[in-house]
Amino acid sequence: MTEQQDALISLADAKELVRLLEQDNIAEANKIITDIHNVSTDVLFDKVGTLTRQLHDSLEEFQLDTRLESLANEEFPDARQRLNYVIEMTDKAANRTMDAVEACLPLVDSFTDRIQQVSPGWKNLMTRDLQLGQFKELCRFIDDFLQVSVIDADILRQYLTEILMAQDFQDLTGQMIRRVINLVQEVEVKLVEMLTMFSSTAALKNSDCDSVESLTGIEAEGPIINASERIDVVDGQDGVDDLLSSLGF
Amino acid sequence: MKKQIKILIVDDFSTMRRIIKNLLRDLGFNNTFEADDGNTALPLLKNGDYDFVVTDWNMPGMQGIDLLKEIRKDPALCHIPVLMVTAEAKREQIIEAAKSGVNGYIIKPFTAATLKEKLEKIFERIQ
Repeated sequence: MTEQQDALISLADAKELVRLLEQDNIAEANKIITDIHNVSTDVLFDKVGTLTRQLHDSLEEFQLDTRLESLANEEFPDARQRLNYVIEMTDKAANRTMDAVEACLPLVDSFTDRIQQVSPGWKNLMTRDLQLGQFKELCRFIDDFLQVSVIDADILRQYLTEILMAQDFQDLTGQMIRRVINLVQEVEVKLVEMLTMFSSTAALKNSDCDSVESLTGIEAEGPIINASERIDVVDGQDGVDDLLSSLGF
Repeated sequence: MKKQIKILIVDDFSTMRRIIKNLLRDLGFNNTFEADDGNTALPLLKNGDYDFVVTDWNMPGMQGIDLLKEIRKDPALCHIPVLMVTAEAKREQIIEAAKSGVNGYIIKPFTAATLKEKLEKIFERIQ
């Protein structure tokens, strides 16, 4: 469908213009044209005025939105710090795990070596092909083997626990990444608001945040990166224990 | 310490639940179950004669502190010891947990020795 266009000059005005020109009344004819021109510039000025006012109001609104300021000044640097901390934690966890694995390997190797050493004598014993002297030696070796194995098994278990505990990074970094995702989501919403404010035709959907507020009003913060620089948080387990015992625990 | 007690581990991260489950098994506790937040933990507790709860604080859905309060409010559950294992380290949070009746508070990251020590302390007190 084509848009119906408004004529720049009405039929009556046009007839009047022709009549005046035929009469050679130039002054009156020019006046008609100037009037028509003025009407359209007035409309244009009105439109520009309205747009300018809207733009001014929008900019004012953005200046009044202190959330944007805190996003830019505090939360973005904070998010950067959190992501760096994630890198640090994953690095530490990977090294902790690999250290433990590397420490386990010699234990396993020594275990294999000892089995290989005891095997020939053991086979001879099973086939009753062993002198008394060899038997005594075998017994001493096995006795030693058993004692060392108990100690080694305990050390192995400790390293396995170490590997297990190193996986706690997933929970802690996960909590941090979640906070950064929430921040990115909030910025997304702000950007969409900004876009809709400046383009009336854009059909944009707001994505909704799914942050959960605690009933207690104390917001969960997740792992603390800079505990030593803050006075409102405790520094590790000792800090918790001290605080609780001061409360009579 | 009775090793056969029934323990519910509440944490939204499955890796952390596994870690705690393994540590508890190391300490001889094999009767453990899992929930991923307060909302799933509460019905389990109401229907399941649990003896002990280990919970995180920061979880989607119902947070650990609210789960603790719900447990303390319910006459059928209020006797269950609750050990909080969380990264939340603000003083006001620890005080809030203490006021709400928490039995122990462990800060993540923690060690196997810390978990053992806090468990022993809790069992000592309730016996």
